[in-house]
Amino acid sequence: MFESKSGFFGKYAEEVRLNPNVGNWSWLLHRITGVILVIYLFMHFFALSSSTAGANKFNTWISTLQSPLLHVLEIGLAAVVAFHLLNGLRITVADFFFLTKPHKTIFWVAMIIFLIFMVITAVVFLGRAFSH
Amino acid sequence: MNEKISKSSAYGWLLQRITGIFLAFFLILHFQVLHFTKEWKLDFSVVTQRMNSTGWVIFYCIFVPAGLFHAFNGAWQVIHDYRPKAGTQSAVKTLLWILGIAISVWGYYLIITFTKGA
Repeated sequence: MFESKSGFFGKYAEEVRLNPNVGNWSWLLHRITGVILVIYLFMHFFALSSSTAGANKFNTWISTLQSPLLHVLEIGLAAVVAFHLLNGLRITVADFFFLTKPHKTIFWVAMIIFLIFMVITAVVFLGRAFSH
Repeated sequence: MNEKISKSSAYGWLLQRITGIFLAFFLILHFQVLHFTKEWKLDFSVVTQRMNSTGWVIFYCIFVPAGLFHAFNGAWQVIHDYRPKAGTQSAVKTLLWILGIAISVWGYYLIITFTKGA
């Protein structure tokens, strides 16, 4: 399926194909969510920059962003942030406290927290999306 | 052992974890305040009201550079995995530092804008 050992994605695909365990999948997801967050950070700064043009300009931007569609997209953003945050803490805990052996268990604990967080966020944000 | 192994990547590893721990706490607070309090109906006055407190100003003054360092150091790690040539590496590093510092300065300018109010 993944024949190429080089190329932008081939390298990653090969890595995961050769060793398809939790550690490698979470590594790939950590990387993908990380890249998404860097791009999002630029957008976040860009939107906030409207404040330099005055309160009205900023409020126009914000009200555009408070649309039902954006509330739904925010659920996706929350998922990306929550995964990167929880998996990042797992990596840090494993690195600093010599917990590399139970790292898979820690991963699933993190994923349970992730699921609980996502259910709460989805309920609240969907409520807002449909209250418009 | 290669004597020329750079120490900077070990610092990069360590700082990525330290900023990561800070960002985890900061982001939970940031998300809680902006999405799970009445502030979710955001406008300019809501932000300036929050920025009246010195605590929040200090919060953002750490949040901005910590977030940007984590983002650009992470981006560097991704780029580094593709083993670019030495010349390309230093060019990309320089570019990321310039971008990071420039956006940090812009972030501080935005903090001042929100602190001053309309």
